[in-house]
Amino acid sequence: MHELRIAEDLTQIVLETAKASGLKKVTEINVVFGKMIQIVPEIFEAAFRECARGTVADYAGLNIEIRNVRMSCMKCGWDFKVQENRFVCQCGSSELEIISGKELFVKSIEGEH
Amino acid sequence: MEIKIMKNILDRNQNKADEVRNLLAEKKVVMINLISSPGAGKTTLLEKTLGELTKKYRIAVIEGDITTDRDARRLQKFNIPIIVINTEGGCHLDSHSISKALGSFFLDELDVIFVENVGNLICPSQFDLGETFKLAIVSTTEGDDKPAKYPMLFREAKGVVLNKMDLISYTNFSLESFRKDLQMINPALPLLEISCTRGDGMNEWFEWISRQIES
Repeated sequence: MHELRIAEDLTQIVLETAKASGLKKVTEINVVFGKMIQIVPEIFEAAFRECARGTVADYAGLNIEIRNVRMSCMKCGWDFKVQENRFVCQCGSSELEIISGKELFVKSIEGEH
Repeated sequence: MEIKIMKNILDRNQNKADEVRNLLAEKKVVMINLISSPGAGKTTLLEKTLGELTKKYRIAVIEGDITTDRDARRLQKFNIPIIVINTEGGCHLDSHSISKALGSFFLDELDVIFVENVGNLICPSQFDLGETFKLAIVSTTEGDDKPAKYPMLFREAKGVVLNKMDLISYTNFSLESFRKDLQMINPALPLLEISCTRGDGMNEWFEWISRQIES
């Protein structure tokens, strides 16, 4: 249920941005989550609806982009998608650097003045 | 019109966590964030660990508990500073509540703080508390599939404690499959197999955790 807290913080960022930009209505919210964060989009959407009720973001569309877990091998440089929790490179090394999969950010909002 | 934001949603938590980490580094206090499911044995492990480690370190505990102070009461016999954070249903601790709790300790008089997070394997892994490191605690009665289901925790933890080894023969827990999953997720991760009630592996655990505190 970390979805609720993340939805609360998202709503706060969206409302602050809308206010600073003079938006009367927020129409779209674009967020990116990495797979490792284990957000369930349906729960997140429900939590967000609850947080945004009665605000300028009340009816905003919520667009959730989920990114795969990708790693880059520090030994051979191979860049690969982690499947079935295999955090091991084809060269056998497990010294990896994360490229994506831990995202938890708001990309942009759209709205009307 | 589109307004670019490109901001971490948990920025507020992260900023506070960075502040906490800097403060602890300045005061030379090691803070350990204990993460497990409910019932894995976090409080029992803490009881045993405090019994041993209070002989050589000045320790405080932050107890994250959904509504009660039962865990904290179990630790009162050690006569150490304990702060209870009731999350009122919240499934994890965050850096703001930790920062507030730290305000009630005399950090100059402490070496180690154990944080017992709320029993849950997903949410606490997402919220940086400013800890020095995280530990994952699992038990044989929960099943051997925890690393496969919650890889983030096992990627981020500095070690894994597998508790209730005394009960393993009564369960279908496969050590082989558990170790294999851990090997894929994080091969460098130390695994400590213990039984808090029977005492298996406890000396190794005390030595290991002392080394982590001192490094």
